Amino acid sequence: MSRYLLLFLLNLPFIIASMVSAVVSYKLGNSSKRRLKFQMLMWTIILVGLAAAKPLYEWLFSNNLTQSEPLSLFDVVQITGIVTVFYIANRTRTKLETLERQTHDLHQELSIRLFKDRKSK
Amino acid sequence: MGKVNYQHKICVVIPAYNEAKVIRHVVHSVNQAFSKIKYEAKIIVIDDGSSDDTAKEAQTGGADVIQHIINSGAGSATATGLRFAELENFDIAVTMDGDGQHTPKDVIRGVDEIIRTKADLLIGSRLLNSNGMSSVKVLGNKGLSMITYLLFSINSTDSQSGLRVFSRNALEQLRWETSGYEFCSEMLWRAKQLGLNIQEYPIQAIYTEYSKTKGQNNWNGINIVKSLIKRRLSELFA
Repeated sequence: MSRYLLLFLLNLPFIIASMVSAVVSYKLGNSSKRRLKFQMLMWTIILVGLAAAKPLYEWLFSNNLTQSEPLSLFDVVQITGIVTVFYIANRTRTKLETLERQTHDLHQELSIRLFKDRKSK
Repeated sequence: MGKVNYQHKICVVIPAYNEAKVIRHVVHSVNQAFSKIKYEAKIIVIDDGSSDDTAKEAQTGGADVIQHIINSGAGSATATGLRFAELENFDIAVTMDGDGQHTPKDVIRGVDEIIRTKADLLIGSRLLNSNGMSSVKVLGNKGLSMITYLLFSINSTDSQSGLRVFSRNALEQLRWETSGYEFCSEMLWRAKQLGLNIQEYPIQAIYTEYSKTKGQNNWNGINIVKSLIKRRLSELFA
């Protein structure tokens, strides 16, 4: 199997998962349209970059714009690792923001409710 | 000119953190000022997880006290107070500092002004007449107002003022995400995004030895700027 194809296939699940969760998050009203657009654009760029890695490398090489070696197995593992970390960081950030907002709201409502309970006694 | 209607229900929100030394006097003076006029006012102190007797002193002064379980910051305490005002169907809410730097006279004047001008958010500006304010504070506040303008295109002479008056409309709509002092600028930004009518009126700030040690200093201003830039960028991209 071509290393370029392997690179694409290994990273495809992360890209699809990210795009799907961005759409779901927007549809459920947990994120804004702007956030959805940004997420879709970012992951589409990564997808196109990976799909067109071979022709891009060949074009750069034939035009003397790069002297680097063709894709090695180590490169495939390394790029997949970077995409995975990016995927995890992105999900963690979203979860952290949601948790932060929930904790803030919970603290606020709890403080007001405790005050009302104290007053009613 | 609009006619002042004394039927309005007013909520004075005072966020306080370790203000036991002065909070009783602050609450008492606001209570006294409101008792002389016809507005129906309730004073709510938000004790933001103080480690001293702030809550007890505020109650002695005549305020109702909502206690935060943990210290969450001035922005968070203000949000709790305004949320309470919204839930309790107050018509107008006023926020003021707990360190005694605002006068009850300016609070009442703010209420009169918001009714007269029909603004949604009225900022009490200390810099329209900065007499009595140290040049370092003037510089710091002007700097932050300028940064607020550069980041959010909001033209305010005193973006960090704690004395603010909110209409019912603003209470129902206005929300912000930051919990520290940077909420002052973010609140203006959110109000602008919502298309609320923002206005200013001049107030006098009283700086005692005590109040000089509280609130924001210029070093804290750097943290505020950092947080505002972060907030602006995160909103820009996400």
